[in-house]
Amino acid sequence: MNIRCAKPDDLMNMQHCNLLCLPENYQMKYYFYHGLSWPQLSYVAEDEKGQIVGYVLAKMEEDSEDNPHGHITSLAVKRSHRRLGLAQKLMDQASRAMVECFNAKYVSLHVRKSNRAALNLYTTTLKFTISEIEPKYYADGEDAYAMKRDLSSFAVQLNQTSDSNTVIDHKNSDEHKKIISERL
Amino acid sequence: MPSSNPLPPKENALFKRILKCYEQKQYKNGLKFAKQILANPKYAEHGETLAMKGLTLNCLGRKEEAYEYVRRGLRNDLRSHVCWHVYGLLIRSDKKYDEAIKCYRNALKWEKDNMQILRDLSLLQIQMRDLEGYRDTRYQLFMLRPTQRASWIGFGMAYHLLQDYEMALKILEAFRNTQSKSSYDYEHSELLLYQNMVIQESGALEDALAHLDRYTDQICDKLSVMETWGKLYLELGRHKDAERIYKQLLHRNPENTGYYIKLQEALQLETSMDRLRMFDEYQALYPRALAPRRLPLNYAKGDEFRLIVDKYLRQGLHKGVPPLFVDLRSLYKDPEKIEIIQRLLLQYVDALKKIGKFSEEDPKSSPKEPASALLWAYYFLAQHYDFLGQTKQALSYIEAAIDHTPTLIELFVAKGRIYKHAGDVIEAYKWLDEAQGLDTADRYINSKCAKYMLRANLVKEAEETCSKFTREGVSAMENLNEMQCMWFQTECALAYQRLEKWGDALKKCHEVDRHFSEIIEDQFDFHTYCMRKMTLRSYVGLLRLEDVLRAHPFYFKAAKCAIEVYLRLHDKPVQDETAQQELNTENLAPAELKKLRNKQRKARRKAELERQQAAQAQEKREQHNKSRQQGDAEPDAPPQDELVPEKLARAEDPLEQAIKFLQPLQTLAAKRIDTHLMAFEIYSRKKKPLLMLQSVKRAYRLEPDNPRLHRCLILCHGYMEKCAGSLEAPVATVIQRELAPIFKGKDAKQLNAEFLAAHPNSLEALFEGSRMWYYLDPTQQEAAIKLCTKLDKNIEGICIKNCTVILQSLKSNDFGPCPTAVVDYEARCHALFPYAETFRPANSSTQAPPCDSNHLADITKENCIGN
Repeated sequence: MNIRCAKPDDLMNMQHCNLLCLPENYQMKYYFYHGLSWPQLSYVAEDEKGQIVGYVLAKMEEDSEDNPHGHITSLAVKRSHRRLGLAQKLMDQASRAMVECFNAKYVSLHVRKSNRAALNLYTTTLKFTISEIEPKYYADGEDAYAMKRDLSSFAVQLNQTSDSNTVIDHKNSDEHKKIISERL
Repeated sequence: MPSSNPLPPKENALFKRILKCYEQKQYKNGLKFAKQILANPKYAEHGETLAMKGLTLNCLGRKEEAYEYVRRGLRNDLRSHVCWHVYGLLIRSDKKYDEAIKCYRNALKWEKDNMQILRDLSLLQIQMRDLEGYRDTRYQLFMLRPTQRASWIGFGMAYHLLQDYEMALKILEAFRNTQSKSSYDYEHSELLLYQNMVIQESGALEDALAHLDRYTDQICDKLSVMETWGKLYLELGRHKDAERIYKQLLHRNPENTGYYIKLQEALQLETSMDRLRMFDEYQALYPRALAPRRLPLNYAKGDEFRLIVDKYLRQGLHKGVPPLFVDLRSLYKDPEKIEIIQRLLLQYVDALKKIGKFSEEDPKSSPKEPASALLWAYYFLAQHYDFLGQTKQALSYIEAAIDHTPTLIELFVAKGRIYKHAGDVIEAYKWLDEAQGLDTADRYINSKCAKYMLRANLVKEAEETCSKFTREGVSAMENLNEMQCMWFQTECALAYQRLEKWGDALKKCHEVDRHFSEIIEDQFDFHTYCMRKMTLRSYVGLLRLEDVLRAHPFYFKAAKCAIEVYLRLHDKPVQDETAQQELNTENLAPAELKKLRNKQRKARRKAELERQQAAQAQEKREQHNKSRQQGDAEPDAPPQDELVPEKLARAEDPLEQAIKFLQPLQTLAAKRIDTHLMAFEIYSRKKKPLLMLQSVKRAYRLEPDNPRLHRCLILCHGYMEKCAGSLEAPVATVIQRELAPIFKGKDAKQLNAEFLAAHPNSLEALFEGSRMWYYLDPTQQEAAIKLCTKLDKNIEGICIKNCTVILQSLKSNDFGPCPTAVVDYEARCHALFPYAETFRPANSSTQAPPCDSNHLADITKENCIGN
């Protein structure tokens, strides 16, 4: 299993995975919209044949400039690939990108009230908390839990590691300048 | 250039209001104002007003009137850029982009600097990939609005797409220089990364690296920076730097298998020992990561492999990881690894049963395994034997697992899959249905169940199953089509094909094809959007994807089905139902005739009802589309022709229709031999010798020994010989010259004999060779049949799929009439594949649906390896 950032070529296969696994489906254009607006935020898990076995489709909420936050539009892992921890790994990568690229403070999502398995994953493994109930959120009339995960601890963690990276990077770019001037 | 018929101030004000209403989608009001102008006899034929009235009518769905008014307007004022622009917009709404481009160009003749028209033109040009035209238009837009960001970006991108990197980079760099420090943000970051992408594509890797180093801290997409660094360092041979980068990348994401491979490259690891050691290190570093534990299994061999796979399996079985087999399946390319895994698993089962541990040699003090370990071992072995085509063992292990834990859904899915692979589609779907019943909230199981139903040709049941997850109020078929659910539609098409419901099969294939057209259409809005958003790398990625969209396997599958059906319809056109029925009534007794008439009446009534329902659904869909699109800036898309199965099955030009499906494959699936073999089938029916030649040559280049190609070659040989006299001289010469290196001057019989001699152990080759043997020399019927029905142990490719093809071929008299051979072959295949439905003797089959050679077309290749 390989986890990587999604490319435009992956979007159709993500749609396929979504149609197999989840009741909420979207036309290709909506996948394009995600991939072309926030290319850093969606991730896929693929098997050795390159088949998509799980994905997270994510975006930034554009309504709040002062409090930027990400949103998980859709997350699925094929039942044949459960219990490998893929969902968590996909979510962590997406969340990190939200912080790095868009300075996200938190990430939100919706889950069906009846979907105990997902609810359990989000609360215990992924550290989401229920922020409110949105009545009749789904097309069939079911309520949704609106959930949030704070990303500030993520940001702190990133700052620490990226500091050490920056040191290397600077040293490195100096080296380059030398090489370039030599060549000239 | 102003209109040749300018309006006085009052009317002119009204005209401006029409334009405003159009922009604000107040179409009714727009028509009102148009009426006011046109009511004045002096302006009753005012061109621009008439044109705008037409355009407004188009938005209200009154297409015919729209064309009438717009054309009349244009005729009255051929020198008005408004009229030409409006005509272009109207045609564009019908997706006739080439023609719309011409209209815009005419409009620009009269008003060369009109921003709106230039922008509209540039969109059509990029959509149609008229890259030179696009560049010129972007140049004009740039000259007109040099201060706008989009002007620069579009201008630069046009050169990038034309691969004029130098010019593209000059423009992008000039633009970057205009950016002020305060504007360093996500968009700026994306711009820099795009610039870097162009530098890389220009081949100037050193420059790309320098550029990246220089702007690193202005780029927020750290992952892209790092991945680009890694790639560039590797390409430039700077291994130490690459190593450092890939280590950091693995720290970010230890599940990215690509990073490990690149790291190995950076470390210049040659031996598998070194590689394994590297993975050891990463296992220790990231104990929760899967990849560093799983990847070494790809590299290890022999005892080393046994050691680590033992550990890996034990961990998985201990913890209870359901996808353990799925995870390891890719190792089954290597027979040695299969053997080792099998031996270990059998040992686990033995020891677990005896002492509750994985091995009897495990230390006495070690703790016992949980009871579930045995279950997971059974489950693994069931899948293992299924993969190897050993149905009996597979079933016995899955039974053992179900006995152990009767509530685990995965077990029923596995059991269904075993039956599917063994060729019993009915039993297969029943077990999936069982699984589905145990967890009705899981769509994955539901989808699999529906798929298995389709494999058993149970279309209605499949639709019903799917309907549990589709929107209420519309039929499942409808909703799945709206959601572009291509796997379902393709499987559905294949089921209809097996059921010989040609029209229904074609409908599904066309629906899939339309999804691809729609997805290409989807680009439109992103041409402007991405330039605003600055996500230019992804945008270029999108353009490149759309260029080859039909290379997707979904398209291939649907196109193949459509082509096969159209070929069948060409060979045996569907007869007119009533005529056929009349024919059959002659010999009926009056009572039977009455019964038949009743039945026909009922069928007709039912068909009528269905037609009405379809029409209603269509109307509803159109309304739905309308309401959905009201928010869109684009005028309504034209309603597409409804796909009517009866009409599709009676296509006047089935071969032309087949060619439409074939053409994208010829460019986008040129590496698949099936493409060219299908092309041969079409063109040989169309009697196009040069295209036949092209098809066999392309196939020959891919796989000269392919058995199905061999058949085409023999047929081709015969055709060319027969027609040599009637062909025009230059054509004959070309054909002769091109085929000479393939035929080498031999005659067909000789070629066939050589082919058979060269492939004595391949079932497919024996089949095609013997079929051609009989074709070339019918006196050899017995010998040919004997050859193709061989099922000796040493023959490769004995599997349900291939044997089914042979049986069907025998039945359809490819070897002449041979009823005893059919019965005999069927019986021998039945003995070999006792579960497979296709070989079951007629009297013992209780519920077998009609089926043909495609029945089991999807059985995986793996199951074709020996038995």
